[in-house]
This record gives sequence, C-alpha cells and structure tokens, in this order.
Amino acid sequence: MSNTAQAGTLESMDCLVTATQGVPGSGVKVEITGSSAARFKSAMEKKVNEVVVSLGAKDIDLSIQDNGAIDLVLGARVEAALKKLMGGAK
Amino acid sequence: MAKNILGREIPEFIEGYGKPLLFGGAFARKPEGNAVGAKIRCVNNDSTDKRLPDVKAAIIASGLKSGMTVSFHHHLRNGDFVVNQVIDACAELGINNLTLFPTALFGVHKKLIEHIKSGVITKIMGSVNGPIGQLVSEGGMEVPVTLRSHGGRPRAVKAGDVHIDVAFIAAPASDKYGNICGTVGKSACGSLGYAFTDAQYADCVVVITDNIQPYPASPVSISQVHADFVVEVESIGDPAGIVSGTTRVTRDPLRLLIAKYASQLIEASPYFQDGISFQTGAGGIPLAVTAFMKEAMIKRGIKGSFGLGGITSYFVELLKEGLVEKLMDVQSFDLGAVQSIAENPKHIEISADWYANPWNNGAAVNMLDVVILGATEVDTDFNANVNTEADGALLHGTGGHQDTAAGAKLTIIAQPLLRGRIPCVTDSVYSVTTPGEVIDAIVTEYGITINPRRKDLLDACAEVKGLPLVSMEELSARAKKMSGPTDPVETEDRIIGVIEWRDGTVIDTVKQLKKK
Repeated sequence: MSNTAQAGTLESMDCLVTATQGVPGSGVKVEITGSSAARFKSAMEKKVNEVVVSLGAKDIDLSIQDNGAIDLVLGARVEAALKKLMGGAK
Repeated sequence: MAKNILGREIPEFIEGYGKPLLFGGAFARKPEGNAVGAKIRCVNNDSTDKRLPDVKAAIIASGLKSGMTVSFHHHLRNGDFVVNQVIDACAELGINNLTLFPTALFGVHKKLIEHIKSGVITKIMGSVNGPIGQLVSEGGMEVPVTLRSHGGRPRAVKAGDVHIDVAFIAAPASDKYGNICGTVGKSACGSLGYAFTDAQYADCVVVITDNIQPYPASPVSISQVHADFVVEVESIGDPAGIVSGTTRVTRDPLRLLIAKYASQLIEASPYFQDGISFQTGAGGIPLAVTAFMKEAMIKRGIKGSFGLGGITSYFVELLKEGLVEKLMDVQSFDLGAVQSIAENPKHIEISADWYANPWNNGAAVNMLDVVILGATEVDTDFNANVNTEADGALLHGTGGHQDTAAGAKLTIIAQPLLRGRIPCVTDSVYSVTTPGEVIDAIVTEYGITINPRRKDLLDACAEVKGLPLVSMEELSARAKKMSGPTDPVETEDRIIGVIEWRDGTVIDTVKQLKKK
C-alpha cells in the first residue's frame, strides 16, 4: 500500500503537492520550493496549514513544488493530495 | 543618507562607484562644458595594412594593461564569440583588474564568471543577466555594477564619466584598414548601432572579424578613421544565436487581449494619425500590438512615418507595405531585419547616440509618438522596474526603457497583472528604473490604466465607447487580492548595483541578497 499521494502539475500558475504519511508523532512538516517561495512563503504556509487543520491531517510530510499558484489553487491541490492519501489509508 | 526626488535613499558615497548625483526629475540635469575625446592618433602611408595575426597580438599592440576599461557591443547577442575570446586572451596574458564596459551581456557570456572569480574582471558597467546577475546579486563582485540605458551609455562616454581604453568591435565584414559593416558575411547581424560611440571615443579600437573584404570594403558603417588594428579570426559568432529565424507574435489569448487593449488605447489617442511613429521591440505582447495596429492602420487608411529601435521582420513588413516610410535601426533582431537593412535604403542604421542619448542635439526617441514597453513591476506612482526580479536579484539591463519612455509622447507598459503569483502592480517597486513622470499608461488583461497626470488621454479615452478603463487603485487592489501579502526581500546593507537615470544621476540602488 502506498503511503504517498500527489496532486497538481508543474504548469505555470500551478503547483505539485506530494503528501507522505509520517511516523506517528512526527507532526506536520511543510517544505515549499519554487518561483513564488521568495516572496510568498508566509502566505503559502498559512494557506497550507489552514487546509491541513480543516482536514484533521496528522503526521504528514508535505512537499510543495510551486510554479506560481495563487492561494485558491494551492489550497485545492493540498486538499486533493491529502484526501488521496487519507482515503488510501482507510 | 540622502533621498532623491522619488524618495529613494542614496548614500553620500558608494564604495566602488563614487559620489552619486541624486536623480532630480526626468529632464532636470543639464550638461556643462565640452565633450571629452579619444587619444589623437597619426597613421601615415608607412602603414597600409592594420591586420595582426591574432587576438593576443592585438591586445599587446593596443597597450591594454591591468586596471583598464575594455568595451564591447552586443549585436551578436547570444551567438557572440568575441567577448569570451578577448577576455580569455587577457587572462592568458596575465592582465587583470579590468573594467568591462559592454552594451549588454548574454547567457553565452557566463564563462566570464571564472574571470570574475579570478580577478581578471573586477568591475562591470553594463547589464548583468542570468548567472552573472545572480552572482553579482549574491555579492560575488566587490564593486557594484553600474547600469545605464542605451542612451545613458553614450552620454557617459561623451561626458567623460567613462573612458574606454580599448574597444573591441566584432565586425561581420571588414577590410584590412578597418572599414566595417554588419550587413554582409556569414556572421551578419545588421545594424552596428551600439558600436559607434566606442569607435569614436576609445583610445584604441580593435576590429575583430571573420570576413576580410578587399580594400575598400563597402558598404561601410564605421570607417577606417577609427580603427587601430584588425584581427581575422575563424568565427566571431554562431549565426543561430546572432539572429533568430523568425520572430513570432504571441498565441497566448491573455497576452493577445492585453495587446488588443494597448492597440485600442493607441487608436483612441491623438497620435493615431498620418505620420505616427512607434517603437515596439521584440517581445511577444509588443509584437502583437504591432499586428493589431497594422490592421487598424489599414482599416482607417493611416500611414506611419517611422519605426524605431530594435527592428524585427514585422517592422520590415510594415515598411514594404508602405505603412511606415522608414525604419531607424539600432539593432536588427532577426533575419528579415538583417536582409532589409542590407538592401533597403529606407531602412537606416542609427547609432545608440543618435537613437537615445539625452546629451546631444536631439535623439531619435524625441521624435517618437508611441512606445510599448514591458516591466517586471510598476507601482501606484507609475514608477517602473525592469532591472530586478521579484526575489530582488539584479537580472536585467535597462536597454532603451528610460530613453524611449522619456522621448515618446505616449509610453505604454503592457504586461499581465500576474506572472505566476507575482503581481506586476505593487505599492512601491523594489527598484526604480524609469520614473512614473514619463510613463503614461499600464495595460493589463483587466484593461487600460492611465496615469492621472495625463488628463488629456483620459478625456480622449472617455470619448471612445467600450474602452476598458481601470483606475490604478482598482488595479492595485485586484493584484493584492489575487496574489496575497508578500514577504519582504531580505538584503544586506551593501550596494551591488547602481541604477543611473539616462542623465547620469542615480535613480536607485540595488542591495546584496541575504544568503538563504
């Protein structure tokens, strides 16, 4: 069974989100790289955390390769990746 | 720390640059005194052949020493072999501490990084792009880079701000006495516009060619009276990098929409009449504006007077079809432009001085009606930044941005509101290249935003039904809403770039990026 799920693309104004199940107690870790990270890291982290909290995800590593996604897209991609991962774990 | 008229903080003294003059408005500074000149030379009939066997021999003969200034022109663009060849040879000869004074650098010149690291080059006055720009931004040079516009550069030379010791001029054709031109030969690049000032003001001029013609060569752009030495090399450049085969109009619907709005603005302006002159460059959106304007000109039976600047096949078509009378060409971008300047007397080669220098008896930009420009960002005061990227890295030259904006009656910046997540409209640009006082309108996919200073334009546009006018407040609010709040760029205190306005005053500085 896979413990990794992805959502999104590396097209312009999109992002590729990779969610990996961590060991119990490891917490939520977020890594953001890419074109907007230099100026929008705080805003992006805030959005990602909102989605993580709303879905009740725990012990997850999130890797976000960004290519200029706005918050709306970023949130949707994170949500999709987490739902894939959490759905698969059931 | 003093502030210039735009409120940008400029130190009293900048290490490696000197005492900056504060920018005081687009037309505030006036020249004093006389122009400086090159060393006077004397060549009699005991010298009837200026050829030397190779680049090294020419460097030795030129008297080039450590600490001097060498200049280059960029018409061979990303195909250029000359800059790297010359600097390699300087390094082999043990020459160091050079000031590089190019009209522009390209990706092909990233090889210079090793010469920067080893101290062969210790100062650059000119654009720094790509990897060299990144290196400079991260503090890889001790001395700040000085950025000047295409017109500011000849001004600086003429006024004595910069003295060129040796100019190396890449020539697609030359004879043994140094009559050169750019329109013939396997490395043909068209106009040699940027090289004229260097030929006139350098103490020594070395012509580097891969195409020796019998004396006297013709046609001639820059004549034998300027050349000291001629070197024949196997190749001065890669034709594939010198000219692009074709320049294409964008197919991106968003950019086409922006181009359409820009064209509608031009049509609504009082300048859309017989005799209109314009510059649109080679970018995707500006080319599309040219295409839309062409349609409009045919539909309304209007004929233009001239197209200016970097010339593309699109402009050549306008010339052939009689929609403009002349082309004034400082740089020929593609094959069509190179062929046209070679064959058509109505396609005129002009120097950078003629094109854009604010300190002569009138540059060509003064005669411009309309110019379409880009920018990485524009602020709510209409100040534009073309030098630095969103992350604060100094990655782009100024080009003709300042000169055409100052010269044209209608200066339009056409740009999508967002590039990725990064907004092109901000409260205050990270660095200023061109002041809002010479920028008349911003055109985005959301419509036309006119500088309130141009009430006449606002009135003219209000009379046209269906023009999508957007206020700056509205545009900026929309950009903010979509992109979200930005984190500040983290910098050190050290200045790594000095941006001069075309008159030699300092409009802004760029600071070293903090290590991540």
